[in-house]
Amino acid sequence: MAKAATAQPQSMARGVAAGVLRATSARTVTTYSAQSQRTARAVMAHTSTSRHTPRTLQWLSQSWSRRLYSTQYQQPQFSRGDNKATAIYATAWIIMILGFSYAAVPLYRAFCQAWRATGYGGTVNKHDNDKKKVEDMVPVEDRQITVRFNADTSATMPWSFKPQQKAVTVVPGETALAFFTASNPTDEAITGISTYNVVPFEAGQYFNKIQCFCFEEQRLNPNEEVDMPVFFYIDPEFAEDPNLMRINDITLSYTFFKSTSTVSPIVPPEQRQLQQEQASTA
Amino acid sequence: MGMPNAGSKTFQATPPDKGSFPLDHDGECKQSMKVFLECLRKNNNNGRKCRVESKAYLQCRMEKQLMAKEDWAKLGYAQTPDTAPTAASAPQQQQQPSRTASSQ
Repeated sequence: MAKAATAQPQSMARGVAAGVLRATSARTVTTYSAQSQRTARAVMAHTSTSRHTPRTLQWLSQSWSRRLYSTQYQQPQFSRGDNKATAIYATAWIIMILGFSYAAVPLYRAFCQAWRATGYGGTVNKHDNDKKKVEDMVPVEDRQITVRFNADTSATMPWSFKPQQKAVTVVPGETALAFFTASNPTDEAITGISTYNVVPFEAGQYFNKIQCFCFEEQRLNPNEEVDMPVFFYIDPEFAEDPNLMRINDITLSYTFFKSTSTVSPIVPPEQRQLQQEQASTA
Repeated sequence: MGMPNAGSKTFQATPPDKGSFPLDHDGECKQSMKVFLECLRKNNNNGRKCRVESKAYLQCRMEKQLMAKEDWAKLGYAQTPDTAPTAASAPQQQQQPSRTASSQ
């Protein structure tokens, strides 16, 4: 490829450089690396004006030839076979991803069943282990907590709703009982439903009610007064929460609303059984 | 985006474990409740000292079909006696009538 016309190093290097550039421009199978191409262009530029001494030219040509012949590589050829393979891979990948997104729903459900059954994570459903927890929990004796009670009614609710005790001192890990009283001063039966709130917010997650009167419709006959107990406990982990280190006062606040909906809330299985028993014996 | 309290945690009210107490319309366990509240008043609202009375109240509820029967251990009353300790006082004092007799 290189035309070595004379023995002069200058023209030999020039000839090789010309060959490199010709091969690159023709886009033949054999091309030269970028470094080779750069060096070839530099050689062409330098040797056009002979301002170097023969000694310098000799040294220059040696370094040029090293660089000119460096990293000769095969240019990759894109054949039709490669394109087909890529298309197949891409399609397979898309189908796999779509399949995973559809399969995710039953997989997630199955995984969560195992999660709950083997008791792996705690946050999926806290209340599964509660029965066991009440049995096993140990009262934290050195942490006395005052639970204050607050009772409210909504503006449209004519009931008189009050707590029977202002506060109760409990310790985490021990069950406690408290009473509220509701009276219906009107001459018609009124159904109410209540909800509750625990302040401070961080303590709310440790406040567990075993049984109370909230979330279910409670019907009071005209001029009737009824006692409503709340059976609760504070989780022993309350004592280990750093956010609650200085908190020894919790307020439990109930609010009664007039019930207007006819849809009854979800009833836990034990309660449903009891209601069925009562209905059958009544 | 710039709304105050957007995404802040709100209180999640959770339903009770064993559901709701049926209302005591006939006041069948009112006496037990009064005993319990009296105990609280005497002990400066210290719920820990009135566990016997609270157990008696729940016992009354269970007997009168106002509460599902449950093991005392499952309600956290495994260590609580059925009656108030009467031997706490000096041996010379007369024996108090047991509470189980009065609550039944």
